Amino acid sequence: MEEKGYNADVLVIGAGIAGIEASLLLSRSGRKVYLVEKTSYIGGNVIKYEEVFSNMECATCMVAPKQQELLQDKNIELLTLSEVETIQGSFGNFVVKVKKRARYVDLQNCIGCSACFEPCPVSLKNEFEQGLGERKAIYVPCPGALPNVPAIDTENCLRFKKGEDCQLCKEACMFEAIDFTQKDEEIELKVGAIIVTTGFTTFDPTKTPQFGYGKLSDVYTAFEFERMYASNGPTGGNIVLKNGESPKSVAIIHCVGRKEKGYCSTVCCMYSLKFIHYLKHKLPDVKISEFYSDLCIPGKSYQKFYEKMKETGVNLIRSDGIEVSEEGKGMVVKHKSGTGEENGLAVDMVILAPAIEPRPDAPELSKVLDIPQDTDGFFTEEHSEFASVCTPKQGVFIAGCVQGPKDIQDSVAQSEAAVGKVLSTL
Amino acid sequence: MEEKIGVYVCECGPNIADNVHIDRVLDAVSGLEGVVVAKRHKLLCSEDGKKFLKQNIEEHGLTHLVIAACSPKLHELTFMNVCEEAGLNPYLFQLANIREQCAWIVEDKEEATEKAIRYTRAAVSRIRYHTPLEKKEIESNPDVLVIGGGIAGIEASLLLASKDRKVYLVEKTSSIGGMAKEFKQLFPKMEPTSNILEQKVQDVLKNENIEAFTDTKVEEVLGFFGNFVVKVKKKTETEENEFKVGAVVVTTGLNLFDPTKLSRYGYGTLSDVYTALEFERMNTKGKILLKNGNPPKSVGIIHCVGREEKGYCSRVCCLYSIKFARYLKAEIPVVNISQFYSDLCVPGKSYQRFYEETKEEGVDFIRAQDIEVTESNGQMSVNYKIESRKPKTEHRNVDMVILAPAIESSGDSSEIAETLNIHQGDEGFFTEEHEKLGPVSTSLEGVFIAGCAQGPKSIPDSIVQAEAVAGRILSSLIPGRKLEPEVKISEISDAFCIGCKTCISVCPYSAIVFDEIKRISVVNEVLCRGCGNCSAACPSGAASHKHFTFRQVYQEVMEALR
Amino acid sequence: MKGEFTPKIVGFLCNWCSYAGADLAGTSKLKMPPSVSSIRVMCSGRVDPVLVATAFLRGADGVLVAGCHPGDCHYEKGNYYARRRFAILKKVMETLGLESERLRLSWVSASEGPRFQEVITEFTEKIKKLGPNPVKEKTSL
Ligand SMILES: Cc1cc2nc3c(=O)[nH]c(=O)nc-3n(C[C@H](O)[C@H](O)[C@H](O)COP(=O)(O)OP(=O)(O)OC[C@H]3O[C@@H](n4cnc5c(N)ncnc54)[C@H](O)[C@@H]3O)c2cc1C
Ligand code: SF4
Ligand code: SF4
Ligand code: SF4
Ligand code: FES
Repeated sequence: MEEKGYNADVLVIGAGIAGIEASLLLSRSGRKVYLVEKTSYIGGNVIKYEEVFSNMECATCMVAPKQQELLQDKNIELLTLSEVETIQGSFGNFVVKVKKRARYVDLQNCIGCSACFEPCPVSLKNEFEQGLGERKAIYVPCPGALPNVPAIDTENCLRFKKGEDCQLCKEACMFEAIDFTQKDEEIELKVGAIIVTTGFTTFDPTKTPQFGYGKLSDVYTAFEFERMYASNGPTGGNIVLKNGESPKSVAIIHCVGRKEKGYCSTVCCMYSLKFIHYLKHKLPDVKISEFYSDLCIPGKSYQKFYEKMKETGVNLIRSDGIEVSEEGKGMVVKHKSGTGEENGLAVDMVILAPAIEPRPDAPELSKVLDIPQDTDGFFTEEHSEFASVCTPKQGVFIAGCVQGPKDIQDSVAQSEAAVGKVLSTL
Repeated sequence: MEEKIGVYVCECGPNIADNVHIDRVLDAVSGLEGVVVAKRHKLLCSEDGKKFLKQNIEEHGLTHLVIAACSPKLHELTFMNVCEEAGLNPYLFQLANIREQCAWIVEDKEEATEKAIRYTRAAVSRIRYHTPLEKKEIESNPDVLVIGGGIAGIEASLLLASKDRKVYLVEKTSSIGGMAKEFKQLFPKMEPTSNILEQKVQDVLKNENIEAFTDTKVEEVLGFFGNFVVKVKKKTETEENEFKVGAVVVTTGLNLFDPTKLSRYGYGTLSDVYTALEFERMNTKGKILLKNGNPPKSVGIIHCVGREEKGYCSRVCCLYSIKFARYLKAEIPVVNISQFYSDLCVPGKSYQRFYEETKEEGVDFIRAQDIEVTESNGQMSVNYKIESRKPKTEHRNVDMVILAPAIESSGDSSEIAETLNIHQGDEGFFTEEHEKLGPVSTSLEGVFIAGCAQGPKSIPDSIVQAEAVAGRILSSLIPGRKLEPEVKISEISDAFCIGCKTCISVCPYSAIVFDEIKRISVVNEVLCRGCGNCSAACPSGAASHKHFTFRQVYQEVMEALR
Repeated sequence: MKGEFTPKIVGFLCNWCSYAGADLAGTSKLKMPPSVSSIRVMCSGRVDPVLVATAFLRGADGVLVAGCHPGDCHYEKGNYYARRRFAILKKVMETLGLESERLRLSWVSASEGPRFQEVITEFTEKIKKLGPNPVKEKTSL
C-alpha cells in the first residue's frame, strides 16, 4: 500500500448492526477492517430485541449468523472493550490510537462454558438487562451474546476494586483462560478511511416526571420491556409485574421526551405497535391502550403492520397532557384529547417509548474525530440533501443512528452506502 | 483407495468428559468399518489440539475426519481449516455435536453417553458418503447497467463508473435528472435543487466511463450475476444495442397517484386544484398564479391523497407540503395557508423543527377527516370533519388547492419485474432481498434496487440507497477477480431428471433454469445458495443437495433409530 | 427405570434458527429427555418427505421437523414449502396406519432455547403416550 501513497484499510467504530454490516461488506471486497467496539460484545442495541418490526423476524436469527461470520472473518480485526483516543492525519492516511481495556479472559483459551460465573461472590444489576436481571463481576451480558467470552468488570471485582485476593473464577476455569495480569493496551492503527457507527441511546424518562418512571413500580422503558419479552432475558420472556403477576391492562405511551428533544424519533410508533404483538402473543386477553400524538408509520409496509395490530382490538388514543399516577393498587393514566376533554384510564403496567438520542460520549467522540454535532447532538452529515453519510471531514463517514434516529433497514442502507463511498473513493 | 476414518472425541475440559463416558464412545466407534483410529483429547480447539489433529491426519494417512465435540456453529470452520492445512479436503470432515446438544442438556450420564454414541456413529456412517467438494471460480464482467436516470440512478452511476468499470445508464425519457429537476428547492434547508443536480447531470454526461442512453428502454436481460447480456433500444432507432454487464441496478423511481380517481378532491373538475407536481412546476417555471392570472390569497394543501386507497404512508408528503407553505410565503407573504392532514409524519432529526418554524410563519395545520373540495358561486372551499366527541363539520374558503398524492411505483414496474425476473410487492414496489439486512439487494443475485423503486422515500434516502448499491457491487464484483460461489449447492442429474420443473417452482432464488433442448432442469451454480428445497421437492431424486445428500442424511436417520 | 419405553425420535433442525435455538438451550444448560436425535439440515424445506416416511418405516416413534418461524426462513420461503409438504405427509401416515401426531412441525427461533426444551419435552411425552411405532412392531412380528 505504501507505494500508492495511501492506506486502503478501514476503521469501523461501533459494532452494532450498522458497524457489523459495513465491516462484512468491506471484508468481502478484500479490505482489511479494524472494528473497534466499546463494550465486551458485538451486536449493539438490536440484539436486545426478541423480534423486529415489521415482519416480526427473530432478531437473534437475523443477527447471529452475521456475528458468527464476523468473528470468523480473517480480514476483520475486532477490538472489543476498546475506544478510539486520538486520530491524526487525513483521508488515505489516518493514524489512530486505540485504548484497549483488558478483558482478563483470554479470547483464545476461553471456551465459553460459563463455569466461572457461579463462584464469583459479587452480584450486581445487569445493565444489558436494564437492571431487571443480575450478573456477576465476571459475566457475559446475556446467554447467546457473542463473542461468548466473559469479561471481568474491574469496577466491581473484589480483586481489582478492593484489592482482595479473590480468585474464585480463576480456580473454576479449567482452561486457564482467566488472566489477572492482562494489561490495558495502547494500539496504533493506520487506516485510510473511518466509518463511525456508534449508534444511540434512549432519553432518560426520569427527566419527565409526569410519567412516573422511577417512582411507580410498574412503569417500564421500551428497552426494559424488550428484555422482559426476550426469551434469553431475565424473565425468560414472561411479561410480569413486580408482584409476579401478569398484567391485565397495559398502557403504552409514545413520544416520551419528544417535546424536550424537539424531533420525532422515527421508530417509536413502530416498536410501540410491535409491543402489541408481544403482549397479545403472551397474554391474549390483556387490554392494551396506546397513547400517541401523531402516528408516524412511513414506508411501504408499515401501515399494513399497523392495521394488523389494530385488528387485535387495541385502544388507540390520540392525546397529550399525559400523566401517570398511583391509584389504589394500580395506576391511572390521565390524558387530554385533541378537543381538550380529560380522561383517566386505570392500568397495571405502563411502557414508555423514550426518544432516541445520541450517546453521552458523542461530544467527546466528535472532538476526537473532528466532526461536528448538530443541535440535537447527532453527527452532522456534509450535506443533508445530497450526502448523508459523508461528514465535512474527508474520509470520515457516518452510518446508522449516530447520524439520526432510524430503523434497522435505514441503518443498514447507510452502512452499505458508507462502504460504497469508501470503495469508490479509496 | 480404501477409506481411513479417524474419530476424535473432545473432552472439552470437564464440559463433555464430566457427563459422557468418552471411552465408551471410543469403544462404540472403533470397530466400525473404515475407522482406523479413535482417540480422545482434552481440548481439540486449542492450539495444541489442532496440532494433534494435524499430526494424526498425517501419521495415519486419514481420508476422513470425524470429530465429536461442540456445535458446528462454533468450530466447524476451525476444524475445516485444520483439514485444509493438513491437506485433507475440508468436506471430508464431520462434526458431531455432543456438547450443546448432548452433554449439556441430558441430565443422566448413561443417557448422555448413549446419545453421544448415536451422534458419533451417525457422523461416521455419514462421512463414508462424503465426496470432496471444491471451490469454483467463475469469470465475471464488472460493468453495470443502471435503469432509470433519476437522482438514485445518477448517484449510483457516478459512484460505480471508473477506469475499469463501465456503466450503462438507460433512461426512458429524453433527459436525465428524474423528478428532482422539477423541484425548485428541497426540504428542510430550502436549498436550491438546480445547482447540485445540474452539476451531477453534467458529471454523468462528461464521464467517459458512463454511457448514457436517453429515450431508451431495456428490451431484454439474460444471464445471471457476473454475466448478464442486455439488449436496449432507442425509441428513434430500429437497431438494438447489446452489451454485457455483471450487475443491474433498478432506479426507475416513482409515479404519483392519480387524483382523478377520487372525485371528492375536485381534481380535473375544479379549475384551481393542482397536484403537488404541478405546483412544483408552476413554482419552478415562474410565478404562483391562479388560472385567472391573480396570485392566490388563500391556499389549502391536502395531505395523504390516496393513502387509504394505497394502504401506506408515502413518507415525504407531509414534508413537501410544509415546503410548499415556504414557497408560498416567500412569494406571497400575505397568503393564508391551511394544511389538512391526518397524522403528521416528520420523522428524523431536523424535520420537526422545519415543521415548527413553518407553523410559526402563520401556517394553519388542521387535523381533518373526510375532506372534500367543492365550489359554489365561484368560491372554492375545503370541507372537512374534525375529531371530537361529536363529529363536527367545518370548512375553509380557498382559491387554490394543492393535493399531495401518494407515491406509487413507476408505471413500467411490472414490465421491468418481468424482464429481470424480480418480485414486486403488493404495493407495486420492488421487493428487497431482506427487509432489514438486504434493503437494496433482490432475491436475484446481481440485481439491485434503489430509491423510490424500492419504496417511497426522500432524496437523501434515495441517494443513500444508491450509494448502498455501489457498496454492494463494489465489494462483490471486482475487476480482475473471479466470483466464488457457495460450495454446498444443489445439482441435478441429467440422467434422472424427468423435466417436471417442480424444482424450478420452489427455488427462492430463481437458480434453476430449464434446458429446452435436453428437456431437463439445470442448477446455476452462481445463483444457488444451497437451501436444498429443490432436492426435497424433486419427485425423481434427480436434484441432490451437496453435503446433505439423501444418502448422507439417510445414514444419520438410521443411526438415530439404532 | 428398566423396561420403560424410551422413544426414538428423529429431529430435523434447520441450520439458521432451530439448530441455533437447540444450541442456545445447551449453552443455557436446559435439561431435556435424550430421546430426540437431531440432524442438521440447511433449511426445514430440505426435509424430503421420503426421508420422513423412511424414518417411520424403519421404526421411528416420532419425527420432529423444526424450522424458522413463518416469514423468518433464511431462504425466504423454505418453511412454507415444509409446511405444505407436511399436510400431505400427515395424510400418507394415516394410510400407513400411523397416528399423524407422531409427526410434528415446530417453529423454534435462535433465541428460543427454552422453547426448544419445551418442544422436545412435550413431544417426547406425547410419543410416550402413543407408545411404540405400530408399523415397526408389525414388521418385527
Ligand atoms: C426499544 C426499541 C425497539 C426497536 N425496535 C426496532 C425494530 O423492531 N425494528 C427496527 O428496524 N428498528 C428498531 N429499533 C431501532 C434500531 O434499534 C436501530 O435502528 C438500530 O439499532 C441502529 O443500529 P446502529 O448500529 O446504528 O446502533 P447501535 O445498535 O446503538 O450500535 C452501536 C454500537 O457502537 C458501540 N459504541 C458506541 N460508542 C462507541 C465508541 N465511542 N467506541 C466504540 N464503540 C462504540 C456500541 O456499544 C454498539 O455496539 C428499535 C429501537 C428501540 C429504542
Ligand atoms: S473463562 Fe474459563 S470458566 Fe469462564 S467461560 Fe471461559 S473457559 Fe469457561
Ligand atoms: S438448493 Fe435452493 S437455491 Fe439452490 S437450486 Fe435448490 S432450491 Fe434453488
Ligand atoms: S424436480 Fe427433479 S425431475 Fe423435476 S425438473 Fe427438477 S430436477 Fe428434474
Ligand atoms: S432456514 Fe430455517 S426454515 Fe428455512
